[in-house]
Amino acid sequence: MSLPASSVSRRRPKARRRRVEPIYYLFLLPSLTLFTLAITVPGVIGILFSFTDSIGLGDWSFTGLTNYIALFSDPAILQSYLFTFGFALATVVVVNVVAFGLALGLTSRIRLRTPLRAVFVIPMVVSGIIIAYVFNFLFSNSVPAAGQALGIPWLETSLLANADLAWVAIVIVTAWQAIPGTMLIYIAGLTSVPGDVYEAADLDGASKRAQLLRITVPLVSGYVVINVILSFKGFLNAYDIIVGLTNGGPGTATRSIAMTIIAGFNGGDYAYQMANATIFFIVAVVISILQLRLTRGRSSL
Amino acid sequence: MKPKKEMKPSRRMIAQAMAFVVAGAVLAGCAAEGPEVIRFTFSKREAIAFMEAVVADYNASQDQILVKMDTSGVDPISASFVRGKPPDIMLANYNFEVARFVERCTLSDLAGTEAAAQSPPELQPLIDQYGKCEGRISALPYSVMAASVIYNKAIFAEHELEVPTTWEELIEVCDKLEAVGVTPFYATFKDDWTVAQGWYDYSVGGSLDVLQFFDAMNAEGAAVGADSATSFQKDFADPVGDMVHLAENYVNADAASRAYGDGNVAFAEGQAAMYLQGPWAFSEIAKTAPDLELGTFPLPMTSDPADLAVRVNMDLAAMIPVESKHQEAARDFLAYLYQPEVIESYNASQLGFTPVTDAAPPSDPRVAGMVEYYNDGRIYQGPSVLVPKTIPTFNYTQALVLGSDPAEILATMDADWARVAFRAPKAAAEAKESVK
Repeated sequence: MSLPASSVSRRRPKARRRRVEPIYYLFLLPSLTLFTLAITVPGVIGILFSFTDSIGLGDWSFTGLTNYIALFSDPAILQSYLFTFGFALATVVVVNVVAFGLALGLTSRIRLRTPLRAVFVIPMVVSGIIIAYVFNFLFSNSVPAAGQALGIPWLETSLLANADLAWVAIVIVTAWQAIPGTMLIYIAGLTSVPGDVYEAADLDGASKRAQLLRITVPLVSGYVVINVILSFKGFLNAYDIIVGLTNGGPGTATRSIAMTIIAGFNGGDYAYQMANATIFFIVAVVISILQLRLTRGRSSL
Repeated sequence: MKPKKEMKPSRRMIAQAMAFVVAGAVLAGCAAEGPEVIRFTFSKREAIAFMEAVVADYNASQDQILVKMDTSGVDPISASFVRGKPPDIMLANYNFEVARFVERCTLSDLAGTEAAAQSPPELQPLIDQYGKCEGRISALPYSVMAASVIYNKAIFAEHELEVPTTWEELIEVCDKLEAVGVTPFYATFKDDWTVAQGWYDYSVGGSLDVLQFFDAMNAEGAAVGADSATSFQKDFADPVGDMVHLAENYVNADAASRAYGDGNVAFAEGQAAMYLQGPWAFSEIAKTAPDLELGTFPLPMTSDPADLAVRVNMDLAAMIPVESKHQEAARDFLAYLYQPEVIESYNASQLGFTPVTDAAPPSDPRVAGMVEYYNDGRIYQGPSVLVPKTIPTFNYTQALVLGSDPAEILATMDADWARVAFRAPKAAAEAKESVK
């Protein structure tokens, strides 16, 4: 199967009323070509394959909506969606609350501010899969050992072996990795708040608490929106940390959508998981539109 | 253009070397000068050094063909098939992942080769069980691994225990061990594959005829469910119940958070009497305790010793893709690989059984306990690997030993099976034909 590359020519800018310097189109061309070849074309081909019985190689034939019909009655798929969204929501809350608190602390006048910032940013530069394996060891060996030594019974068994609580471990580790990035954005936001508003508030006798709630939070709300959107998107694609921590287990308790899709590719279930990926794509687009609608005007993105 | 073997090559160097090899293969095909380069895929980690020596011997023995070994694993191989540039010959673990190359007829017919003539006919059903391309011998067994319960002979001797041959004797052995404070089984439930490979496969394989069961399941196809004549929830309920009984009562307390590596060390240290692992664990255990005396016996699941059987898998099968442009050269190397001294010494080194008619069984005492079952054909392939990979069987078996409701899990497996059959009727139909 050779892939048609003709869709490149279709993507011409629509509005041509005003005279635009042609050089701008020249600037657009490389990334547009790359984007089309690397994302749009494979995407369309992938969606096409979701209507076939392809296993990724060899012969295949069109099977209509069979994959989609099977998909909607598949509890494993449904569960992976529930898990992924629940996990993403929980992690977004944890990450943003903690990161905001850290950012507040690290922008105030405390000792060792710069070294502390450096320390808190370290998790960001370590690869997710490595973090996951390290935490896997901690959860399976160190924490139970500590629980035993301290005589805390509920710590003695690994969190990862508990089907009802394994997601908590994944939230903790994901948050641990995601907090620095979010925190940096908050720090940027907090330092952009002009100092004179606080001065004015001090003069008016506003307490620190009131200053935080009435001045800081409203002034950085744009950053909150950015962080929530960015991190939610990222968490929906959760993969490496889960693979390293639980590999979807115990049982199927922590299989994310991305894991289900990739497992299908490896297991020769190409077309079916393409259908799953197509649905996931549509869901992601819908969420993006909703988020943009809800936040229009509040952030200058 | 003869790159010498590099010591410790980096990823990039491997990639470059591979690009070189591919380019070399293409060039060799055009120019027909110098040796014909063929690409040989082999990714069994434990045996790479052995196979490198075999390849070096072959390359030195003649100057027409130069074999290049590619150890990059199954996923890049799948990709190379998709791109239409598969390896010229492969020795790979035979499973559903590889079987789809067979099913879609992307592998050439090996019927005329001498290797095929030596292949014992009783192993063919095991290969065909994964699917087949009509009228072709797409894959030939190269190494068969037999797996069953590994036991610590010293602990058994110390407490004067006999190897159990029935379920009742097994429970008796377990109770006696418990009574003297020895953990009967060391379990590593954290790694789901160890549950599937050992606990689940041995329990089911020791209880029923796996081949027959999956034939019936394939025949039922999308109809599998609570009301079908054959189903996981009906046929597997008892073996799985027994498995859960063992897993709940006779394992180490921290089984849920122990992984394969932990298990090898703990078992080597004598922390338990029995271990449900395959022969690949022997070399790992030997790293901690090189002189530990170990034996093997099939897990008894019924009251009848005649039901005892060992789990086997096609650890390696030889295949030559249709799209390879070096069919003759690949067949020449295939013949070399199947020379008795090569295939037998390979299997001896890996504790595997040589799947060639009249080959000697492995002489290692650690696998001696399985030889009579293998020779009698009392073997089965693991039910955990006979299910399409899209069904997360490993995860399900892990959920079973960790305390999920077996009835619920088995019903889910039935539903999954029916769903796969519904959307892939073609594959199911082919599988049905192959069992004849």
